[in-house]
Amino acid sequence: MTNFNTDVAVIGGGPAGLAAAISAYENGAKNVIVLDRNKWLGGILPQCIHDGFGVEETGSSMTGPEYAEMYINTAKKLRIKFMNETMVLQFNKNRKIIAANKKDLHQINAKSIVLAMGCREKTRWNIMIPGDRPSGIYTAGVAQSFINLYNIMVGKKVVILGSGDVGLIMARRLKFEGAKVLGVVEILPYASGLQRNIVQCLDDYGIPLYLNHTVTYIKGRERLESVTIAQVDEKIDIIPETEREIKCDTLLLSLGLIPENELSRNVGIEIDNVTGGPIVNQYFETSLSSVFACGNCLQVYDTVDALAIDAKKAGENAAKNTIKQNKKINIKAGKGINYVIPQRISKSGKIRFTLRVKKPCVSPTLRVISGDYELFKKKLRWANPANMVGFDIDISDETIKAKGDLVVLLDGY
Amino acid sequence: MAIEKEITCIVCPIGCKILVRVVENQFELLGGNKCKSGIDYAKSEALDPRRMLTSSVLVNNGEWPLVSIKSSKPVQKYKIYSVLKEIKKIKVNAPVRSGQIIIKNIAGTKIDILATKSIKK
Amino acid sequence: MKNFHVAIVGGGVIGSAIAWELSKYKLDVVVFEKGSDVASCTSKANSGVIHSGINSPTGSLKARYCVEGNKILQSLADKLGFQIKWIGKYVIAKNEEEAKELERLKKLGFDNKVPGLEIKDGSEVKIKEPNVSCYTALWVPTAGIISPYEFTIAFAENAVENNVNFLLETEVIDLKKIKDHFLIKTNKGEYQSQLLVNATGLYCRKIDAMLEEPDFQVYPCRGEYLVLDKNYSNLINSMIYPVPPKELGVLGVHITPTIEGNILLGPSAEFIGDPDDKRTTKDMMKTLFNESKEILPALPEKAVINAFSGIRCKLASPGEGGWADYRIEESKNTHGLINLLGIESPGLTGAPAIAKEITRMISKFIELKNKTDFKIRKVKKKSFSEMTAKEQSDLINKDERWGRIVCRCEHITEAEVIEALTNPIGAQTLSSVKYRCRAGMGRCQGGFCSQHIIRIMEKQFNIDVNKINLKSPRSNLFYGRTREKVND
Repeated sequence: MTNFNTDVAVIGGGPAGLAAAISAYENGAKNVIVLDRNKWLGGILPQCIHDGFGVEETGSSMTGPEYAEMYINTAKKLRIKFMNETMVLQFNKNRKIIAANKKDLHQINAKSIVLAMGCREKTRWNIMIPGDRPSGIYTAGVAQSFINLYNIMVGKKVVILGSGDVGLIMARRLKFEGAKVLGVVEILPYASGLQRNIVQCLDDYGIPLYLNHTVTYIKGRERLESVTIAQVDEKIDIIPETEREIKCDTLLLSLGLIPENELSRNVGIEIDNVTGGPIVNQYFETSLSSVFACGNCLQVYDTVDALAIDAKKAGENAAKNTIKQNKKINIKAGKGINYVIPQRISKSGKIRFTLRVKKPCVSPTLRVISGDYELFKKKLRWANPANMVGFDIDISDETIKAKGDLVVLLDGY
Repeated sequence: MAIEKEITCIVCPIGCKILVRVVENQFELLGGNKCKSGIDYAKSEALDPRRMLTSSVLVNNGEWPLVSIKSSKPVQKYKIYSVLKEIKKIKVNAPVRSGQIIIKNIAGTKIDILATKSIKK
Repeated sequence: MKNFHVAIVGGGVIGSAIAWELSKYKLDVVVFEKGSDVASCTSKANSGVIHSGINSPTGSLKARYCVEGNKILQSLADKLGFQIKWIGKYVIAKNEEEAKELERLKKLGFDNKVPGLEIKDGSEVKIKEPNVSCYTALWVPTAGIISPYEFTIAFAENAVENNVNFLLETEVIDLKKIKDHFLIKTNKGEYQSQLLVNATGLYCRKIDAMLEEPDFQVYPCRGEYLVLDKNYSNLINSMIYPVPPKELGVLGVHITPTIEGNILLGPSAEFIGDPDDKRTTKDMMKTLFNESKEILPALPEKAVINAFSGIRCKLASPGEGGWADYRIEESKNTHGLINLLGIESPGLTGAPAIAKEITRMISKFIELKNKTDFKIRKVKKKSFSEMTAKEQSDLINKDERWGRIVCRCEHITEAEVIEALTNPIGAQTLSSVKYRCRAGMGRCQGGFCSQHIIRIMEKQFNIDVNKINLKSPRSNLFYGRTREKVND
């Protein structure tokens, strides 16, 4: 077993890990190492061959592979060390990492760790769709990797469940590759992906979007033969008489993403039940000191730009690593708010918050209160669960000293 | 001849249904937009809709079997399928450099197809 | 045409155990399995429980083979390398009335010579099982858990290594008795055999009917299960069973840890017409969850990560009470045909004892001579994730494929996937990899590793992408290439 020390170890070489590593290096950490299980860098980006990446960050729209290459090239110019095809098996409270690759088992002693493990897709069993267990059921991202990276076609007649962006992008992609895309089925009364993708991936190609619908049954003892879809009522209960069978050979699932945090859980890092990611403070530091979290293992971002901006901060803090976690106040999600990050703050100053609302609404007012006192108020033109909301607040020393929880809520919701 | 169209605005997530009328390539706004920024979008969408096109091309002897590609400029919407048909026929030899022109003036569109990824041998 | 001494139809746990028992002797043995792997039907989809023998009437074959099998399983596990955990079970009574039932079970167990049975009161149970509330419980220390496919695979693979022929994806479509031989027609050609063993579980009547008029009926009875995430494995330490319901001849919805560290809830019991109808249903998922929650109030809904069902082969209809004993016998009308009928629970436990019984029957037809070169190979070795750092490091230094983790959830290496794909039976589906090395069994349900396994199948085993199947001959995963490499 090899054994070595590093200033910053970044677990995961996707966009978050790359951004964090670059930022850590630029902020003084001379010894930065990125550990990634794939043989390539950039994580999921190389299979996201569509464009729309980097608009907020660079002003121009790039494809996934281009965006990844931009970061990879920057990182490679710096003296950042990369270990690919390397799986982190565990790390402990003293930040001793055990990782395996084809050369050996490695023990890496890191002054600080940045978690950037990304996320995984929800499967059929996260929503317990009854029926048979045939082949031909893929999560959208897995189908995307087969088609775009490995040159393998997953199906010919496809139904997509879930209107997340990956599902919408895959609807168009499959159409381009000659498959019949019979429809996108969404249980909610609104699409969960971006409007742009509804128009450019579905409407452009006449692919129907069935809102308030879900898949109620899967049929096929070997390969998938059909799915049954049905309308749901306001309580999301299935309306049985609306059930109908759609013959298809493939079901793509775009049901949402789950932050990947087995490593974090194993070492006892506190996890937020709503985000599925670690609870962090304003420095993106987890409940375990000198361990930071960023990217989709912290929260599922809707753009890589916003993700990279936060990841850079996490990397910077990991490099500086001078944080003392003492006075803590909690940030709570109030009415209309699904979650807020950071969940804790420990020091005064200008702090950036990101949040997601529960339901789409027009002209709501975002408020942050501490008891009866209002710290922040902002009128929004619209708010949508698919779009993360970001805002800055100056948190005073008094607020920190008061130690009262801050509640973020949405009026007019 | 006048054509009336309903265009879903993609400028923000509200997704206004903007009603427009096109008379001999002249654009007329009929309403439905909640803000001004939707007007430009509706106009270009009504008169000359175009889309960036991304797909992939077969690679010979590369570390990956495919290279991802994009159109150098947005392609006129009605030409998308003819461009895709051409793309499926192309083969390139590794190595490929990101940004490299894979094919010029595809399907007579005056638009080039560019690699968006570098592929080693 | 190849001529065998013994042809076994069915590569489930019974067929495989018989094949292994026979592989010790100088015999030409063949096993016909219509699935793409062994244990592809009932043997795969069950609770994975080693029963003690407290549930079957004294003197029944079920009781006899169960108790016998239970006794020899540990020594078999030591030889063949499959895992057993003797975690014991509690049969719990919710009230005084049910408590009387426990006394009856205890008496039955005693008569069946099941050791160590004890009635415990609720507070005693609480100490060992803090999440379980009950009035009293029957403690059954000789009940254990096993991985049913690992168990079956262990028999089958070692049998193949001792020259038994396993023919996968080979379905028997017709049988004829010609003089002293059986003519066996399959989808892959014709074979001859002196003896024929019908170990086809749910299809035992169909096979028997090819040779004679069956004097029995099969009543398929579906059992659905829910699977819990490993994060919830500490909810229970032993198996938790209710007092068996009076009808249907089943044991009731129970809560069972698995060898892999998950927990199973189930099975339901539903008589169905079609033995292949392995669907899971919304209603039953709800019922299973609710019934389990009565036993285990701390059970959270989000703990459920999977559902499946298996079908019991019953010889008694629900009207007849659902309970009938096994029939393991030489056919009276067809000389040389050995039928195993109605082998349902506790068939997994009984399999080794049943296999010995069949071997005894065969010895009446053919003189059995021991092979001198019979060899035992442990099927299951320690997996990478169970090794010490030193062991892991040593293996990687010897062979770099041990250092490539293919399945991120279960930390399965490329070396283990390759070993799974080179199994002596020749099973090469995605499921056969999963059942041999657990790649794809974790939380992501194969999302990450399936891509890597498929690359390994393509590149290292030269399997055509269109012929990569999930689990059975027509369960193809793909439809060719997105870009075809046409030669010009």
